Amino acid sequence: MTLDWSVVWQHRDALAQGTATTFLLTVATMAIAVPCGIVVAVLRLYGWSPLRSLATAYVELFRNLPLILVVYWAFYVLPILTGLGLSPLATGLAALSLNVTAYNAETFRAGINSIRRGQVEAAMALGMTRLQALRRVVVPQALRRVLPVLASTWVSLFKDTSLVSVIAVTELAYVSMQIRAQTFRVLEMLTAMAALYWLLGYPQAKIVDWIQRRWSVTE
Amino acid sequence: MTERTKAGGSTIIRYLDVVKRYGAFTALRGVSLDVHAGEVVCLIGPSGSGKSTLLRCTNGLETIDGGDIEFEGTRLARDDRGLRAMRQRMGMVFQNFELFPHLTALQNVAEGPRTVLRMPLDEAERRALAMLDKVGLADKAPNYPSALSGGQQQRVAIARALAMQPDVMLFDEPTSALDPETIGEVLNVMKALAEEGMTMVVVTHEMTFARRVGDWIAVFDAGRIVEQGPPRQIFDAPTTERTRDFLGHLGWTG
Repeated sequence: MTLDWSVVWQHRDALAQGTATTFLLTVATMAIAVPCGIVVAVLRLYGWSPLRSLATAYVELFRNLPLILVVYWAFYVLPILTGLGLSPLATGLAALSLNVTAYNAETFRAGINSIRRGQVEAAMALGMTRLQALRRVVVPQALRRVLPVLASTWVSLFKDTSLVSVIAVTELAYVSMQIRAQTFRVLEMLTAMAALYWLLGYPQAKIVDWIQRRWSVTE
Repeated sequence: MTERTKAGGSTIIRYLDVVKRYGAFTALRGVSLDVHAGEVVCLIGPSGSGKSTLLRCTNGLETIDGGDIEFEGTRLARDDRGLRAMRQRMGMVFQNFELFPHLTALQNVAEGPRTVLRMPLDEAERRALAMLDKVGLADKAPNYPSALSGGQQQRVAIARALAMQPDVMLFDEPTSALDPETIGEVLNVMKALAEEGMTMVVVTHEMTFARRVGDWIAVFDAGRIVEQGPPRQIFDAPTTERTRDFLGHLGWTG
């Protein structure tokens, strides 16, 4: 078997485009899923009880569905539900956001719950309101505690964006598969794809490690 | 009851037949006690006898199920706003310090004046530094709690409470979580505070401190005060069997 690696270089522009879309999807998903995750977590913890149940149902649904199913579901069902003709990119972004928001909500909820009761009591003993205690004492500590988890979610998300290739979002995986289909250079393209994901993902994982060291609060 | 040396001061806290239940368990079965201005009142007794519970009821961290607590002549508020106003005048020190780990020592002490009293940052920090100096830790101002020993953390916690310029200080077993070699530095700060005339309610297992610094001792057992009086009475001539028992178990020989 002869290998022809030139195919990778020939398609560098398409691969660069795909890589850019992968990054865009990751950044946009997190930009949506972090604030939404905080809102869902706070609703689950302190919300009016019907809202609390709704938030719980949402989290339990999307945390326990395979992401690829959610992607397909968004592709076929969202247009019917919303009456909008969403682009594959927007559909993929919606599916990823639904999934990651559910995970982030659990992360934030665990973070807030992990702060000892005594911390709130110490704040209230100074004369703070419950909201001041949450804002000045609980949330700042909770954010620091969950930052490493959020960073790991980021790294997983970066790879999971490849799942939206099934609905023809032209990110890195989809582009690579397209080139493979056109050139029949299966081994070369799969290897190139693996190398690209790894080279891009590894530094991010290292940054996560650094964040964990830098931001951990010791007591 | 024997003479009460500082009873001339006005009554700051009055507990009247206080009852506290947790479900089926009754933690306080009708506790009555007066705390006068400038007094150091020590609550002693076995674990689970209700002394910490009474302290936590004092500033409304726990609600009471019966009786009354009066603070500076008014009934303890039941609404949030009223409670907050009262808490500002009562400093509290916890067994586990409960310093805010994401803030430096200085920021910990300045937090109350900043957030609750809405003091400008520089003014709050000036006051915080003065309070840290008072507990002998001005040089630790930029340190985070994790870089301090247990004794130092507790002194910062005392400074944090003092920064609100309270009328009363409540101490909930302030030395129970400390290494033996750092207990002394915390007790010294408390003693100095008492000598300045601060009114203090102290839940403690430090019998030497209670005897030397306390003006009035209340002995708790099973949710009741079994005996109260000046330290000489409690430690040298206890009038109840239960007090003798408790002190005997501690190996206290007077």
